[in-house]
Amino acid sequence: MTISKFLVAAAAISLSATAFAAGTHGGGHGHGAASGEPGKASEVSRTITVEMYDNYYEPESITVSPGETVRFMVENKGNLVHEFNIGTPEMHEGHQEEMMMMVEHGVIQGGKLNHDMMEMDMGNGQSMKHDDPNSVLLEPGQSQEVIWKFSDNSNIEFACNVPGHYQAGMYGDVKVQ
Amino acid sequence: MKSRLGSVLLSLLMSTSVMAGEYDLTVDRVEIDTGDFVKEGIGYNGASPGPVMRFKEGETVKINVTNNLDEMTSIHWHGLILPFNQDGVPGISFPGIKPGETFTYEFPIQQAGTYWFHSHSGFQEPDGAYGAIVIEPEGREPFRYDREFVVQLTDKHPHSGDRIMRNLKMMPDYYNREQQTVGEFFSDVSKNGLMNTVRDRMAWGDMRMMKADVEDLQGFTGLINGKGPDQNWTGLFEPGERIRLRFINSSAMTYFDIRIPGLDMTVVQADGNNVQPVSVDEFRIGVAETYDVIVRPKDEQAYTIFAESMGRSGYARATLAPEEGMEAAVPQLREAARLTMADMGGMPGMDHGSMAGMDHGNMDMDSSEDMSGLEHSSMEGMDHSNMDGMDHSNMEAMDHSDMSGMDHGAMTMGKEDKSDPFYAKGSGLMPKAANGGKFLSYADLKAQDPLYEDREPTREIELRLTGNMERYTWSINGVKYEDADPIRLKYGERVRFKFVNETMMTHPMHLHGMWSILDVGADQWNPIKHTVSVQPGTTVYMETEVDAPGQWAFHCHLSYHAAAGMFRKVIVEGGPESTQAKADVIGEDGGEA
Repeated sequence: MTISKFLVAAAAISLSATAFAAGTHGGGHGHGAASGEPGKASEVSRTITVEMYDNYYEPESITVSPGETVRFMVENKGNLVHEFNIGTPEMHEGHQEEMMMMVEHGVIQGGKLNHDMMEMDMGNGQSMKHDDPNSVLLEPGQSQEVIWKFSDNSNIEFACNVPGHYQAGMYGDVKVQ
Repeated sequence: MKSRLGSVLLSLLMSTSVMAGEYDLTVDRVEIDTGDFVKEGIGYNGASPGPVMRFKEGETVKINVTNNLDEMTSIHWHGLILPFNQDGVPGISFPGIKPGETFTYEFPIQQAGTYWFHSHSGFQEPDGAYGAIVIEPEGREPFRYDREFVVQLTDKHPHSGDRIMRNLKMMPDYYNREQQTVGEFFSDVSKNGLMNTVRDRMAWGDMRMMKADVEDLQGFTGLINGKGPDQNWTGLFEPGERIRLRFINSSAMTYFDIRIPGLDMTVVQADGNNVQPVSVDEFRIGVAETYDVIVRPKDEQAYTIFAESMGRSGYARATLAPEEGMEAAVPQLREAARLTMADMGGMPGMDHGSMAGMDHGNMDMDSSEDMSGLEHSSMEGMDHSNMDGMDHSNMEAMDHSDMSGMDHGAMTMGKEDKSDPFYAKGSGLMPKAANGGKFLSYADLKAQDPLYEDREPTREIELRLTGNMERYTWSINGVKYEDADPIRLKYGERVRFKFVNETMMTHPMHLHGMWSILDVGADQWNPIKHTVSVQPGTTVYMETEVDAPGQWAFHCHLSYHAAAGMFRKVIVEGGPESTQAKADVIGEDGGEA
């Protein structure tokens, strides 16, 4: 698993972008170059159902082809809020700081999301809305789809960046071949 | 699946582990070498600590315990839910195991996680009679790891338990090396003024307490898995792996503050029960508690597991390394913790209202009458209702309304100032991470998958934790075990226990047989534990679903406090008839704690 120089640079840029946006949730996302890009429904080649439990995914590993567009049906079958987020480990690490802030501000409260809080203007035109195309954040019982077009980057994981969840092992490997 | 395979492989590799449903343990005289000193002690299967007992949830275990000592013994399975006559407390669950006798325990394993076992007879546990229990769950774990290690701590003292108890009874500060000196008196005088200093000293004298009473047993060597700091127990890993560390504090008397410089620790389990994962830089482990953490060392380097005693009088040390023999720097002990007036907040007769917000550093007390007039005769009937720092209702509901325009850089820094609601405001014991980062609080512990429905308790029982340091007596509601009536509970009720710590010491309260649902203000997410620490000057609540018939021990897990009388028998009345307590069958000849 070697990381190309390009990727390292991309990760560095996305990390600094996160820092620059002072951790606002909207600003830190869309690191498309590294992990792929939002997919078009018309290009979907197959649907993969991903179930989220406390605190793990089923399945914990998927295989895609470079350039493939996949529809993920993501279902939260646990009792806690979980995220499904496609990115490199570095991107997840950057995102975890934002998610920590969401917990500290009461946006994520165990099994509930405080939607009013997510909409609130943080004073700089940003909000803690979790609306990036590479991820969904779901309360227990909710399901939502993500359509993603993968690049040829093989250093991709899907992960839950709710504080502590990724560290406890809530991630899955994406094998690109 | 990977993690399962990992742990199975590991258990196969560990010579001490046992996989069958029937297990044998012998209780033996052993030699204990800490690197600082060698002493005779008690162990299991020829060693202290004893073996790691590996069980599987759902199996029924049969454990043959052979007593090779010339005195009575017993084994208590700490934290396990089992029939009361298998709980191993002489005089409460059974008569004990006579010299030369083999006693067979048999009970179903109804839980998973990290636990431990120890003798409940005399001071055999501080003398070395303890080991670890690891129970593999029926389903998958809610977290992943590639490798696991038990990290079992103790505070090994060169004196035997009997001798320590004798010395403490004779002179309660026998092992307290941190007493304040005349020199300190004069430096306090120059800092705080003569009158303030004199008042402070007089107040402490009146309390029958010494300001440095964080640890009443010093002079120990901290051991991890039986190894002293210089013997350096080492766990091997490959960089990038996730490692589950099962921390168990089997100390007689010592709380440890644990960190691994360079690694975040994600706490996933407390007292054998899964908690919602929380990443920390450091955590405090009370006597008899367990915490499971996951770490992920990414670099090809060694990391030190550093466990400083809460009073900073000693430490345990171990290493995680890619290769045997590698080691990392061992940090210096931080400055000794000193109790403050806040830690006396629970002392009877004091006006709690005026305590809050007091500047303890300067001891600038405007109501000196309060202090000099402090009388022990006025101990009863005080009002703890305005005890500070424990108002659960304020704990979770932060006011988010003033968020807009907030500087988030400052926000993140602000969280370090958050004081732990489980300590008195201004307490000298308030934990702080060595690197300025996150220190685990009880308030962070939320059940991963709550075992019980949340419901209103049926009644409340107040237990004041009491003692007189000058006579080394420890008690509950001012009455020691031998003079006390049992606490009677009814099968099916949910009891709310209110612990009011009126002493200057931290007490890890352990109820046998039933879970302690610790009130951290999270309602249905309150965690369940087997041991609940109550800090000086605080009130802590826990609830218990009374679901286990029989009779059980309930005590402070500091060995010498339990033996001095901070101990109760709990009788659960009613319930399925076959399991009811037959108290008359159980002899009293086995000793107590």
